[in-house]
Amino acid sequence: MMRLTRMLTFRSIRARFPRFALSAFGIILGVAGLLAIRATNTAALNSIVTLFESTSGRAKLTLVTAEADQGSFSEEILQRVQTTPGVALANPLVIVRTDLADDRPAAGLNLGLFGTDAGGLALHGVVPSLETQTRAYTLTAGRFLEEKPKEYEIVLVEEYARDKELSLGDWVEILTPNGVRRLKLVGLIAREGPGQTNNGSFGVMPLDTAQELFNRARNLDQIDIVLVNPNPDTAELASLRANLQDEVGAKYSVVYPSGQGERMTQMLQNYQIGLNFMSGIALFVGAFLIYNAFAMTIVERTREFGMLRTIGMTQRQVVAQVFVEAGILGIFGSAAGVGLGVLLARGLTRLMEVIMNQGLGSVDFASPDILFSLILGLGVTLLAAGLPAWQAGRISPMEALRVRGKSREGWLIRYGWTLGALLLIGSVVLLVINPFPYDVQFRLGSLTVFGLFTGATLLIPVTVGVWERVTRPIMGWLYGASGSLGSRNVQRSRVRTTLTVAALMVGVAMVIMVRGMTESFASDLRVWMKAYLGGDIYVTSSVRMRSDIGRRIQEVEGVYAVAPIRYFDVKWQTPTGETESLNFMAVDVAAYTRVTNFVFSGQQVNCQFALQRIQQEGTVFISNVLAEKYDLGIGDALRLRTASGYRDFEIVGIVVDFYNQGMVVEGDWETMRRYFHIKDASTFLVKVQEGRSAPQVQNEIDMLYGERYHLTLESNESVRGRALNLMDQAFRMFDVMALISIVVGSLGVVNTLTMSVIERTREIGMLRAIGTTRGQIVRMVLAEAALMGAIGGILGLGTGVVLARILFIGMTTMSGYQLTFTLPPEGVAFSLVMALVVSQIAAIPPAIRAARTRILEAVQYE
Amino acid sequence: MPVLEAKDLRKEYKLGGHRVNALEGINFQVEKGEFVAIMGPSGSGKSTLLHLLGGLDSPSSGGITLAGQNLARLSEHKATLVRRHNVGFVFQFFNLLPTLSAEENILLPVIIDGKDPRKYKERLARLLELVGLQDRRHHKPDQLSGGEQQRVAIARALVTEPAILLADEPTGNLDTKTGTAIMELLRRSCDELQQTVIAVTHDARAAAYADRVIFLRDGSIVHERTADSEEAFGPRLRGILETMEQLEAV
Repeated sequence: MMRLTRMLTFRSIRARFPRFALSAFGIILGVAGLLAIRATNTAALNSIVTLFESTSGRAKLTLVTAEADQGSFSEEILQRVQTTPGVALANPLVIVRTDLADDRPAAGLNLGLFGTDAGGLALHGVVPSLETQTRAYTLTAGRFLEEKPKEYEIVLVEEYARDKELSLGDWVEILTPNGVRRLKLVGLIAREGPGQTNNGSFGVMPLDTAQELFNRARNLDQIDIVLVNPNPDTAELASLRANLQDEVGAKYSVVYPSGQGERMTQMLQNYQIGLNFMSGIALFVGAFLIYNAFAMTIVERTREFGMLRTIGMTQRQVVAQVFVEAGILGIFGSAAGVGLGVLLARGLTRLMEVIMNQGLGSVDFASPDILFSLILGLGVTLLAAGLPAWQAGRISPMEALRVRGKSREGWLIRYGWTLGALLLIGSVVLLVINPFPYDVQFRLGSLTVFGLFTGATLLIPVTVGVWERVTRPIMGWLYGASGSLGSRNVQRSRVRTTLTVAALMVGVAMVIMVRGMTESFASDLRVWMKAYLGGDIYVTSSVRMRSDIGRRIQEVEGVYAVAPIRYFDVKWQTPTGETESLNFMAVDVAAYTRVTNFVFSGQQVNCQFALQRIQQEGTVFISNVLAEKYDLGIGDALRLRTASGYRDFEIVGIVVDFYNQGMVVEGDWETMRRYFHIKDASTFLVKVQEGRSAPQVQNEIDMLYGERYHLTLESNESVRGRALNLMDQAFRMFDVMALISIVVGSLGVVNTLTMSVIERTREIGMLRAIGTTRGQIVRMVLAEAALMGAIGGILGLGTGVVLARILFIGMTTMSGYQLTFTLPPEGVAFSLVMALVVSQIAAIPPAIRAARTRILEAVQYE
Repeated sequence: MPVLEAKDLRKEYKLGGHRVNALEGINFQVEKGEFVAIMGPSGSGKSTLLHLLGGLDSPSSGGITLAGQNLARLSEHKATLVRRHNVGFVFQFFNLLPTLSAEENILLPVIIDGKDPRKYKERLARLLELVGLQDRRHHKPDQLSGGEQQRVAIARALVTEPAILLADEPTGNLDTKTGTAIMELLRRSCDELQQTVIAVTHDARAAAYADRVIFLRDGSIVHERTADSEEAFGPRLRGILETMEQLEAV
């Protein structure tokens, strides 16, 4: 067996090395994509967990207020926590977010798409002796905070200080609700452990100072709890947490510190599911290329296999030879894929860092991941080679005796269309009827991808004749007499035509799919963003803004309307009785509707009525995501936790909202004040009077109130631009995947057309002998390619639209966004043109090869 | 005891809804060391007969006994093993593997059989000597002439010492001189190695090397011509040509 393998398989690989390499390319890309995504996933998830764990130090539990908006609470509770059995140390913290006085950063827009939430300077007010027992700071210069300093002091992360050109001993000017205050920089810490907080834009100051400067007299934001047993097991920790919770009562929540990372982890996972799906498809496209290459090899070697069968090779031996070749391909391809995957992971990690606004550190490649990728790559290759191997085994020994090699048309080519039609109908029905819950649909979706591609591929052979007859006049018109000759050639080997067309189809389908999905997301996001970031100027601040600032802005000349907005987290009871977190967006409805509009979901009946109702007591709008997910409708009750306990709110409208992954409830300003006791604003949307210049008004507001209230003003156009840019970055990875499949598809064209030219060497020689020019030969090959490009393009369009829908359903389900499916006509036209262009470019090398055929050698060609 | 025996061999095809009788009751025997040529006009059933004799196809009825086994009743796998051990094939287009050297091509059936080719050193040397390619043993097919390639194919067919060597138009792709050399080689394999050879051919010159010529027409044996060992090549060739003329005239 080994000797036979060495003689036949190895030499066959060497003899057809370019094709071997092309096939390997498919598997390399698939495996690389998969490994890179897995590694990046792990790195991203680990970094989040590590970040929260290292920033929480030795604290195993954290106490925060259970109130809405997680505000401050009285420090009286500290004593009770400290004396609870099992608690070694209770470390009080004041947590504030501010900015340096001379630092006017761009507005930190939290889109809630992927959990980006950074910017500004995070400061912790700490008791130095307790803080250093809780967290391990690495001091790089100066000293740590003193317990009772004579003047205000601060310790900053070294990198941050360097960025802001601050040195030890400098006075650091920060924004506080009471104006700019100066603190002496007494120490610098490394960006590790707690220094990683807020991506390194972090510092600490004494607790008293923080309480004084940020109006938190005798108030705290958080208590970190270090336990007597530094390493309790899960059960012990849970019981301690329950004890503490009992001790402090329902006004407080005792949570696990790393739990804070869960939401971000969840968001990240949603995005990664999409990427995983795409890399799965890339692997499938790779598998398709391998199938294509092997099927071509079998066609090419039909007579050789026939001879081997004649001289006594069994069917099993033939099949084994093909599998050995596939195995070698799989091993080399997967190994190279792992190599490329390592490189790709670095790129992907950088992208993820941009999306998360969080350094991920180095990417580790766990051996199980590498092993999994290797096994998957090899498995897919063997699977893809299965059918060609089986076909090779069934080659009749009589093929060797034929005067001319003839490509066999197996039953799959002749009768496969019935199976193809069934697969196609089945896949489409599965998608149209949608009898399953969303998550099942998404999983089934991956399966239907295979069904669709295979179904469409099996339909190609029976339809080739029709395609050819319809397009023959066009080919004749485009390429002259040799055009219609080339056009007819596609009917000669339906196997070959099918494989080429299928490769193109997959490529085009991928482009359509990515375009359709991106456009659906982008167009809906634009509509929402236009309303969400309505008006002309977006006003925000690193410190809390009193709502009367809005009234002052309103008085500025040229301002038409000012709408205050406040976002805060609120607990709610789901219809199934669980407690979850929602984002409450409170707006002054009257002002808001002057600046912008609510985007009501399609289910809304009477918008005017809804706007009247929302201004009444105890009413809310909910996002369509919530409505869909929890089967809530207008008139239903939503149970929210208010300052005075749980209360039902009537749902009076359903709106489109992408903020916080759609987990949003919207209410009137008065509702917020009355039930949640919140009075300040997060943002003001400003609309400028008609005919007035927005930049001028923006300057005016900035001049009057910018410094006074520490406002950050930005034109809404630029905020929207940044938001869309963030979205584009997230989608760019999908474009890369689509590009890969086009490259793979065009390789399929080169592969099959070259085969076609080699097989017809004698015929081309004859055509040259009877007076066909080289140019005519080139046009003949190009016409053949163009026709295959057209068929591939049209079929790719069909399958692509269906696939785009599958992915769309998957993405909307996973992300929670409810979108409308959009497929831009120019995207469709682009993909069809692209299929033709790719087919023509890919046909150039085989066409040149054909044109260079030497007449005498060719007519003797066996 | 004959090496090969065909008894009432029939083969029917369906072609476009019509039944075509490719072979209609063929009966003949071939003795060990005999050289038989099968001749006949196009469509007479020569190739079909060769396929049945080599176990490549199965008859509609009748039987073929090769080396004591009835080929008509064998499974596909068993028929493959019979071909491997008892049949050698020589094709019109040589069918050598382009990636293997002459020597490797010759040893291919042994390797397929899972045997150690090193044990076939003597056999290989003898075959290379027989076909006159001792100096070309390491050359690849594309470095060999058509005649040399066909000689490699003959050596490959003989390497397993098969019960029967089947040649399908062995001179069909060669010039007259090379064709003559190939037929002489087949003749020598009968004389020197006691090899049984059946060759299907259009070429009367090639058939003149055979001990016996079977003439087919419309799927039936219409004539047999056994050469007298004393008969010279010229008269033998003339006799075959005359028979062919008569057959084609009818």
